[in-house]
Amino acid sequence: MPAANSIDEPILTVKDLNISFVSKYRDDRQVIRNVGFEIRPGEFVGLLGESGSGKSTLGNAILNLLTPTARVTSGELLYRGRNLFTIPAEDLRILRWSEISTVFQSSMASLNPVMTVRAQMEDVFAAHRGASGAKREMTVEKSLDLVSIDHKYLDFYPHQLSGGMKQRVALAMSVLLSPDLIVFDEPTTGLDVVVQKSILSRLKTLQESMKFAVLFISHDLGTVMEMADRVMIMYAGEVVENSPAADALSGVAHPYTIGLLGSYADPRDAEINIRYIPGRPPSLDSVPVGCAFADRCGLATQECREPKIPTAEIDSPAGHRSIKCVLFGSETSDPLPAPTIFDEVGQQIDVHHAALGAGEVVCRVEDLNKTYSTRKGLKHTENHAVIGVGFELRKGSVTALVGQSGSGKTTIGRILTGVEKPSSGTVTVAGVDVGSLKRRTLRNYRSKVQLIFQDPFQALNPASSVGYAISRPLVNHRKLRGSEVREEVDRILGQVGLTPPSEYRDRLPHELSGGQRQRVVIARALAAQPEIIVADEPISMLDVSIRAEILQVLNELTRSNGIAMLYITHDLLSARLIADEILVLHEGKIVETGSTNQVLTQTRHDYTKLLLSSIPNPWQSRRNVPSIPAASSTSARA
Amino acid sequence: MLYFLRKTGLFVLTLWAAVTLNFLIPRLQPGDPAEAIVQKLAGQAQQVDPEQIRAIRLMLGVPDTSLWNQYWDYLNALVHGNFGLSYGYFPYSVTHMIAEALPYTLTLVGVTQIIAFVAGTGLGAWAAWRRNTKIDSFISLGSTFLSTLPFFWIALMLIYVLANTLHWFPEGGAYSGEIVPAFSSGFVADLAYHAVLPALALLITGSIGWILGMRNNMVQSLGSDYTRLAVAKGLKERRVAWTYAARIALLPNFTGFAISLGGVFGGTLIVEQIFSYPGMGKLMYDAIGNRDFPLLQAIFLITTVAVLLANFLADVLVGVLDPRVRRQSS
Repeated sequence: MPAANSIDEPILTVKDLNISFVSKYRDDRQVIRNVGFEIRPGEFVGLLGESGSGKSTLGNAILNLLTPTARVTSGELLYRGRNLFTIPAEDLRILRWSEISTVFQSSMASLNPVMTVRAQMEDVFAAHRGASGAKREMTVEKSLDLVSIDHKYLDFYPHQLSGGMKQRVALAMSVLLSPDLIVFDEPTTGLDVVVQKSILSRLKTLQESMKFAVLFISHDLGTVMEMADRVMIMYAGEVVENSPAADALSGVAHPYTIGLLGSYADPRDAEINIRYIPGRPPSLDSVPVGCAFADRCGLATQECREPKIPTAEIDSPAGHRSIKCVLFGSETSDPLPAPTIFDEVGQQIDVHHAALGAGEVVCRVEDLNKTYSTRKGLKHTENHAVIGVGFELRKGSVTALVGQSGSGKTTIGRILTGVEKPSSGTVTVAGVDVGSLKRRTLRNYRSKVQLIFQDPFQALNPASSVGYAISRPLVNHRKLRGSEVREEVDRILGQVGLTPPSEYRDRLPHELSGGQRQRVVIARALAAQPEIIVADEPISMLDVSIRAEILQVLNELTRSNGIAMLYITHDLLSARLIADEILVLHEGKIVETGSTNQVLTQTRHDYTKLLLSSIPNPWQSRRNVPSIPAASSTSARA
Repeated sequence: MLYFLRKTGLFVLTLWAAVTLNFLIPRLQPGDPAEAIVQKLAGQAQQVDPEQIRAIRLMLGVPDTSLWNQYWDYLNALVHGNFGLSYGYFPYSVTHMIAEALPYTLTLVGVTQIIAFVAGTGLGAWAAWRRNTKIDSFISLGSTFLSTLPFFWIALMLIYVLANTLHWFPEGGAYSGEIVPAFSSGFVADLAYHAVLPALALLITGSIGWILGMRNNMVQSLGSDYTRLAVAKGLKERRVAWTYAARIALLPNFTGFAISLGGVFGGTLIVEQIFSYPGMGKLMYDAIGNRDFPLLQAIFLITTVAVLLANFLADVLVGVLDPRVRRQSS
C-alpha cells in the first residue's frame, strides 16, 4: 500500500456500535448507543464524558476487554479492516500490544503487585516473540529512558514506586512494541497537577516522535481539550459531538459541549465566569426518546423530542465535525447557528465573597508543627508534615488551603478537627486550645468543628438512611428529641437543596447520585450547627457539571449561617470561586497567603506559579493555532 | 532481611511462652492422677486406701519440690526429649507412646491435607477461570452442598457403601492383624489399603474450604486491573491465569494451609474414632480420660510447637512470595 494512501486510511473504524449490559435480574441497559467514529494514524483523539456516559465501556470495547455481562448487540470494530469482535482469539492476542496497547487509570491496581517492573515488561516480549518481528528493537531499558526513569527501578516492585512513577512505567510499557494505537483510560486521574503535567507533556513528546495514534479517555475537560487534536463528547452512551478541538472550543458546538466548557475557566483570569448545567444525565435504564440531553438543555425545542435526531456533518478548516443536535442545520439550511444563541446554555454560578478581614476570628492557628516519626530498624526518621503554620479562620468567610498531595494540607485539617494532636503550636477556638482537650471537652469541641469528606461514596454508612445520618449530630450534639429531630432534618435537607425532604429522608445512600450524596454529607456537617467546617477536597470526586452546583451550596451555607470554612484543595479554580483568602502550602510550610485574587493574579512565590502553570489551559495553548474559533465558524458558513 | 529476623525473634518468644504455659496449666488443674490410677485398679465402688495412693505416687515420681525447681527440671528434660513415663500406659514412656501413634497420623492426615490443598486450590482456580459456566456451577455448588453435610455422616456413608455394602475396603483399623508390623512392602500396602477410606473422608471435607476460598480470591484477582492489563498485553492465556490471577489469589490460602499443616500433629479425633485408627487424636482422648498428665502435656506441647513452627514457615514463605508483606513490616 502506498505511503500517502495509508495516511488517509483510518486505522480504527467503529461503525454503529451498540453495547448493552445484560442481566438475568433486570432489563438490559444499553450503555453504548449507535457510536461510530474513526481514528487516523498519528491522531490524538480525546474522549470526554462524565461518569456513567459509557466512555470507559467504549475504551474497553476497543481493547476487547469487556466484562462478560457487556454484550455487543450490533456494530463493527475494524482495526485496519479486521473486525476485532470476530477475528480468531490467537490473532487477537498477537495483535494486542503490538498494534493496540493501553494505559489504565493511575490507580495502584494496574501493575501486578508481586512482580518486578522488569518482569512485567519482559512478559510482553515473551508473549510476542517472533510475532511482531522487526518492531522489537526497543529494550526495556530504552523504554524507561523515554519516560526518564532510572534503570534501577526495573528491579523494584510496584508498591515501591510513587503514583506518578507507576504511571510513567505504564507509559513506557505501552510503547514497548511500538504500537500504532494506544488507549489511555483516565491516565492521570488521582495524580496531582504538577505530576500530571509532567506525564502529559512526556506523552505528547513520545506521540510526536513515535507517531502512534491516541485515544485519550478522560472526564478532565481541561486536559483533553489541551492535548487532543480532535475531541469526542459522550453523553448517555452517545457521541454527541466529534470535532477538531479548536472547533469544539469555538463557542459554536453541541449545547452539552458548551455546558461542559462553561464549567471550566482559568483561575488566573481577572474575571471568571462559570456556568453549569443543572440536573443530572438520564439513567441508562430509561433514556428519553429523542435527544438525551434535551431535559437539561436550555435550547431544547419540540424537535428535540422526536425519535430521530439528525447528525450534522460540517466541514471546517480544522477538519470535519459531526454534531448530533437539531440546532445544526441539515444540508439545505445554514450549518452553523450564531454563537450568541449559546449564551443561555447552563446556569450562572452564584457565589458571594466576604471582604478580607471581615467577620470575627473563630479559630486562630499559631506556629503549628506536626512531626511523624517512623522507625526503620535502628534508624529513626522524622517526617515534618507541618512546619510553623499560622492562620485565622473568620466567621462567614472561606479560607482555602492549597497544595499538592503530601504538602500537609490534610494533616492540618485533621488537627483542626481534633483527630490528631499537634507536635507543638496551638489551635485556639473560642479561647480554648484544641490540643489540650480530653474526652468530654473534645466531644463538645467536635460539635463546633465538622468535616466534609472527599469521597461521598465512603463517607456515608451504606446501611442507614439519609434521615438517620443527618439525625445523629442532632441527637448527639444538640440533644434534640422526637419530632424536633424530624423537623430539623427536613429543614436541613431543604437547605442543601434536597427537596422535597420526604423524598430523600428515607433513602439509602446507594439510591443517590454522587452529587446528592455529597449534599447529604454537607447536610450532616451542618446539622451540628458548627462554627467551623473543614472541607477536604469536597468536589474532587464529583463530575464536572455537578462541581459548580456543590460549590454554590457550600458557599451559600457558610455565608448565610456565619460558618468559617477551611477549604482544602489542590484545585485552584474551585479555590478561586469559593474562597476569600488563599494559603499556599508547600512541604508543610505556608509559602504564600493573601486574598484570592491577589494570590492567583499577582502571584509572587515560585511554587504558586508552578501550580498555576500546571493547570491545563486549552484556550491559551491554542492561541497560536491558525484556525481561530471565529474564523472557523464564518468560513464554514460560507 | 529484617522481616525474617523479626519473624524469627517472634517465633522464639512465642515458643518459650507456649512451653511455659504447657508446664503451668496442667499443674493448676484439679484431680490427682495417683488417685485415678488406684481407683481404676480397685474399681469404681471400692474404697481407696491412702497408703496405696502414696505408693503409686512414689512409683510415678510425683514431684514434691518447689514449682521453680520443677520448671527447671521440665526444661532440662525437654531439651533431652524426655517427657517422662506415661501414667496411663505405665511403664511405657511418653515418648514411646507418641512414637507409636504419630506416624499413623502424620502420614494419613499430613498426606491428605497436602492433596486436599493442591486439589482444592486447583479446582477453585479452574472454577474461577471458567466462571459463570457449567464447570464453575458444578464445582462451587457441589462443594457448597458437600460443606453442609456433617463430616461424620460423610464418613459413615463411605463406610456403609464402600466397606459394608461393596466390601472394597476394611471398615476400620490401620492394618490387619495378619501381617507383622514392619517396613515390608506387604505391610505398607496393607497400611495404604486401610488408609483409603479415612483419607477419602478427609479429602472430601478438607478440600472444600480451599476450593471456595481460591475461587473467590481468584474471581477478584481476575477482575483486577493488572489481570485486565495482562490480557491487553496479549499474554498467553496460561500465563495470565497462573502468573497474574492465580499467583495473587493463592497468597491468603497459602497462609491458611501452612497453619493447618501444624494442626496435623494433633490428629483428627473424629476420623480416628470412626475408623478406629490408632493416631494422635485417639491417644489424646484416652490420655484425658486417664488423667495421664505427662502424655497430655507432651501431646499439647508437640501440637503447639508444630502450629507455631507452621505459622513461622508460613510467614517466611509469604514473605518470599509477596514483596508487599516484606516492606510493610520492615
